[in-house]
Amino acid sequence: MAVADASVAELVVAAQRGSRAAFTTLYQRFHRAVHAVALARVGAADAGDVVQDVFARAWRKLDAVREPAAFPGWLMTMARHRAIDRARARDPIGDPSRDVGVAPAPTSEAAAALRAIRALPEAYRETLLMRLVEGLTGPEIAARTGLTPDSVRVNLHRGMKLLRERLDGGAP
Amino acid sequence: MSDDYLWDRRGDDPEVARLERLLGGLAHDAPLAPLPTRGPRRALWIGGAVAVVAAAAVLAIAIGTDRTARRSPCATGRGGFTFSIQGGAARCDGVATQGGQLPVGTWLETPAGATAEVAIADIGALTLAGDSRLQLAATGADQHRLALERGSLRARVTAPPRLFVIDTPTATAVDLGCAYELEVLADGRTRLAVTSGVVELGAAGRLAFVTVGATVTTVPGRGPGTPVATAAAPAFVALIDRLDRGDASALPAALAAAGPGDTLTLWNLLANGDAAARAAILARLDELFPRPEWILERDVIAGQPDAMNALRDVLTSDVWLAPPRDPDPAGGVWK
Repeated sequence: MAVADASVAELVVAAQRGSRAAFTTLYQRFHRAVHAVALARVGAADAGDVVQDVFARAWRKLDAVREPAAFPGWLMTMARHRAIDRARARDPIGDPSRDVGVAPAPTSEAAAALRAIRALPEAYRETLLMRLVEGLTGPEIAARTGLTPDSVRVNLHRGMKLLRERLDGGAP
Repeated sequence: MSDDYLWDRRGDDPEVARLERLLGGLAHDAPLAPLPTRGPRRALWIGGAVAVVAAAAVLAIAIGTDRTARRSPCATGRGGFTFSIQGGAARCDGVATQGGQLPVGTWLETPAGATAEVAIADIGALTLAGDSRLQLAATGADQHRLALERGSLRARVTAPPRLFVIDTPTATAVDLGCAYELEVLADGRTRLAVTSGVVELGAAGRLAFVTVGATVTTVPGRGPGTPVATAAAPAFVALIDRLDRGDASALPAALAAAGPGDTLTLWNLLANGDAAARAAILARLDELFPRPEWILERDVIAGQPDAMNALRDVLTSDVWLAPPRDPDPAGGVWK
């Protein structure tokens, strides 16, 4: 079977045995979801670094994944922890309102939309960033996060409803 | 408007499509950085005769091959940090070396008794002690990042704040313009001693602001402890250690024992302390260092970032002028 056609579990097993090609394929499937998780917590400039850091750590610690099918949840948890560490290292006081390193100018419409998404509850925030920034569809988000499709659908629709209200109300 | 568009792009939803266009430019499209060398697997042996035969074959090849003859990425002379070894042969990407280039993703290991001098791009240098393991994780205009897995190092950097970062297994040291010593202790804790300027040490949601002449050690499960001056009274250090381990009853005695040289220690207690303790800490800090009236008590007690940063700035106004300290041969981290 070609690496590109393999399941996540098959890729994880192959990567655990040392296959860099398998791990690179895992990266290609998951890097955008990891980036969204990071972007929910740190600026765009830092989010890219978090992605590389997460995958470097995942490569080193892959043996810790005892159940290959659990890889998506394991990876997302690691991404959240690394992004939180990064955010706290940037901001010693932990001021959540401080936007560190967002790529668009703070006055731009994109930055305002990003701030509004970041102000949403965590589950909605990550799912909407995967959908609106990274371009993943609902089924793709479910596959990459380990969430059920129903959960992703709920997160998308409730999050989008809240986002519409906040953008319409001018409160980012 | 169609809910299906939000789910899988069927139908249409102009507002979702507009947000996609607005935000799509932030999408991640960078390739995977070079992967570090991974150690041998500790578990999940595949068993069976085929694996045994394969392992035997690999072993035979390894025995019959001079490992130093393998082409190492450290010998290519392309990219990474330049290094040289004194006092013995180190290993770069597993291959014996006396010097070369350390590419991104590659580990440099020094044997006991040897040291490595590593240039940190064009912003400084570090000395890696013996029996240490260091990886260059990233290097670029925005950040130079290393990982110290074991052992210790001395770093000397002249660069804008936050450009140079070192991760250890339990913490992250962020350079704010300085020289410092960093050590991964045998029990996994991280110890930092600053010999010039300021370094931040962060982990587990806590952050220590460590200035010249101060040292800090991580506490298992709690992130960095509270920095203390190397000249601080042993009784004060012991009380701070109790606080770091979660013994809040040590606070009154610690505040009473604090002296004029311990103001940054008190600021760190303020930054990481709970609301109930902040008023008492600030009151003692005010006794030791008169706070400018424009830094309001209520803002500091509330942890208001601007007030906390302003207070830290006035407390550290002389840090940048302080001469570099020689590492303390008795209490320093350097070996």
